[in-house]
Amino acid sequence: MRRVLVPRLAELAVVLFGVSVIVFLMIRLIPGDAVAIMLGANTEVTPDRIAALRGRLGLDQPIVVQYAHWAWAALRGDFGTSLWTGRPVLQEILEHLGPTLELTLLALGLGAGLAVPAGCVMARLRGGWVDGAMRVVTVAGLTVPSFWLGIVMILALATLAPALQALGYVPFSADPLGNLGRMVLPAAALALPILASLSRLVRSAMLDALGQDYIRTARAKGLAERVVVYRHALANALIPFVTSVGITTGYLLGGAIVVEQVFAIPGLGQLILGAIAERNYPLLQATILVVTAGFVAVNFVVDLLYLALDPRVRP
Amino acid sequence: MIRKTLRCLMLAGTVLAAPLGASAQVLQVAVDQSPAGLDPHLVTAFSSFQIVNGPIYEGLTAVDAGLAVVPSLAASWTVSADGKTYTFSLQPGVRFHDGAPMEAADVIASFHRVMDKAIGSPLASRLATVTTMAAPDAHTVVLTLSEPTAPLLSALAGIAIVPRGMEANKDALQKQPDGTGPFMFKEWQPNGFILLAKNPHYWRAGLPKLDGVKFNIVPESATRQVGIGSGQYAMLPNIDPATALQLKGRPGVALQQTLELSYTLLGMNTSKPPFNDPRVREAVNYALDRGQMVTAALFGAGVPGGPLSPALTQWAVPTSAFPCYRTDPAKAKALLQAAGLTLPVAVTMTVLPRQDIKDIAQVAQAQMDKAGFKVTLRNVELGQFIQDWRNSNFEMFASANGGSVDPDDYFFRTFRTGGSTNVFKYSNPEVDTLLDQARGTVDQAARKAAYDKVQRVLACEGPVAHLAYAQLFTALRGNVHGFRIMANRSLAGLAETSVAP
Repeated sequence: MRRVLVPRLAELAVVLFGVSVIVFLMIRLIPGDAVAIMLGANTEVTPDRIAALRGRLGLDQPIVVQYAHWAWAALRGDFGTSLWTGRPVLQEILEHLGPTLELTLLALGLGAGLAVPAGCVMARLRGGWVDGAMRVVTVAGLTVPSFWLGIVMILALATLAPALQALGYVPFSADPLGNLGRMVLPAAALALPILASLSRLVRSAMLDALGQDYIRTARAKGLAERVVVYRHALANALIPFVTSVGITTGYLLGGAIVVEQVFAIPGLGQLILGAIAERNYPLLQATILVVTAGFVAVNFVVDLLYLALDPRVRP
Repeated sequence: MIRKTLRCLMLAGTVLAAPLGASAQVLQVAVDQSPAGLDPHLVTAFSSFQIVNGPIYEGLTAVDAGLAVVPSLAASWTVSADGKTYTFSLQPGVRFHDGAPMEAADVIASFHRVMDKAIGSPLASRLATVTTMAAPDAHTVVLTLSEPTAPLLSALAGIAIVPRGMEANKDALQKQPDGTGPFMFKEWQPNGFILLAKNPHYWRAGLPKLDGVKFNIVPESATRQVGIGSGQYAMLPNIDPATALQLKGRPGVALQQTLELSYTLLGMNTSKPPFNDPRVREAVNYALDRGQMVTAALFGAGVPGGPLSPALTQWAVPTSAFPCYRTDPAKAKALLQAAGLTLPVAVTMTVLPRQDIKDIAQVAQAQMDKAGFKVTLRNVELGQFIQDWRNSNFEMFASANGGSVDPDDYFFRTFRTGGSTNVFKYSNPEVDTLLDQARGTVDQAARKAAYDKVQRVLACEGPVAHLAYAQLFTALRGNVHGFRIMANRSLAGLAETSVAP
């Protein structure tokens, strides 16, 4: 186990370091700086005021010095304070992490959870009208972007149930039912494209597996069809599925950003978009780092899952 | 069948969401942007400004719905004959939200805070002529000025009075406001909502009528519209004509409207060719058809405008008085030729990244191309736009500006030689003299005469072609009463607002 874990953890550290450098440079190289935006387009601005503000924010130092300062503090768990609200960055991120995690997990559970049975049904009824219809629907699901789906869902809601007031967000801890009630639509909007792509993947992996020699052998030795399909075929078909789920989780975080905008959910997406618009360097840096860490961690978990699912890759 | 299933699902949702029904007397407001901070002396973003100024904080004076200056925390004031000494009598019995009484020391501390370089308040210039401040007793404040400053009273409406002891503190008020207004800060869930609660000790008797106001942050326009349609939100403040048009006639939704103080403009850099020649700037005015812009870009909800908003009825010169406001492409071409230029004259227009401005820029491009120009539009990201604007790195730009109640607040910094937002590098000795005169007298008729002349000069050969003033809307549920929309976008009217059950 350690032979697998240690190199992966080292990789994780390298990736995080690389991302921190790239993000640090990138957000400072995009045109327009925090001070110009901070002072606004419609207020009294004097060069000495710009210089003073720049000094206060530490933006007058060489970029290497700025990075060194930031990295040293970050290693000790201090990601600085938000330029605008003056609150610790970590606190802002933690406040916004919950809704995004919840949305991502719900969408993943919904999409990946339904994809397996849907894919199996399509594979078993291959060539029939059910399979055909489901394939058409999944192509539609693949091509429809989540944010558009979200807006259509909101408009449909307004037409079909005008009295229903389910926009916005309430924390699960404050009102569990209200929280879930409000999360249904955004999670569904986010889950549909995943469901479409994953169910197609399960279908083709299942078809592939069902054509293998060991399936013929299993049938020949008189196993029940249920056992053949679910024990032998599905177990093998799940390996590409798990890889795909891992990658999808990363994209889910990206999709969540847009869906959060549509449904007014105060998650990481809104935090990142706001931070970009305001050139809120410390906040943006730390948020992107957290998302990257999440992405890397998910891939790490996927690797561990391989070990569990596929004896062949066990060391 | 699908419809039926959907209905079932939605009904299930209703059951889930039903206990969330808002309590009747907390007004649910939906706004598009999260505020960037709540310190009234530091914020510049409109998303912050509308929440703090009026609902949470008040100034010595206030601006009423007719844009006239009226008493607020100062119950009355007198101005000395030479216009250099202002004596304010403070409203008795006013308390801050933390319970401390509001007295002269707080007023003086607030002004010190605004003027302090270390705080870096963008409001500092409004108090630039204040030399001494005195408090003969707890309820009197005397300001002495280095020169008469007519715009002082309207400027004071925008300077919030905060408790003493904050002079050197840049952070505390960003997160935890403490004012004298009708509502007090209760809770802020960043990007989620800001909740204000009724100030039970508010000094204006019987107000506020609401128990609270909740500003929900809802970035997506379609979501806000659905929200007010369903009654989840009771108010969408300060929305643009395009959104208002879609809400018009929706059952249960009422619209209020007023003419904006803010305006759209084309700015020209007078420090380099071709706009260093006043005839070229005049040609731009002849090339434009402002009526068409209002129809095409503002959906007809606005009016063509000169240097001052027609909403400022006591100041604005009607556009019919400006000869160059007649659309005449031939005249524009003649002016360009008289300036010694070969047609077409190529110019680049930097465009503020906002949909209405992009629309207006395209209309302006088409109109100018017909009148001897060849306009190239340059679309940039907001940060880049502000930087280029600030560094005068443009030939021409299309943008929008917030307006001011007093002409001095806009004209002096924008058009006087060396003015702090004179990014056009415009310099006209006649305009300078008139602006200095108007600032230095408190005689209303003399100020009006000077600003009339300034407007006539600026309208045709100034560095800004003022385009249009849009109609501003606020959408309310039918059961919301007492609110009045204001041209300066202030939500001070929330104090008188109530919701019928």
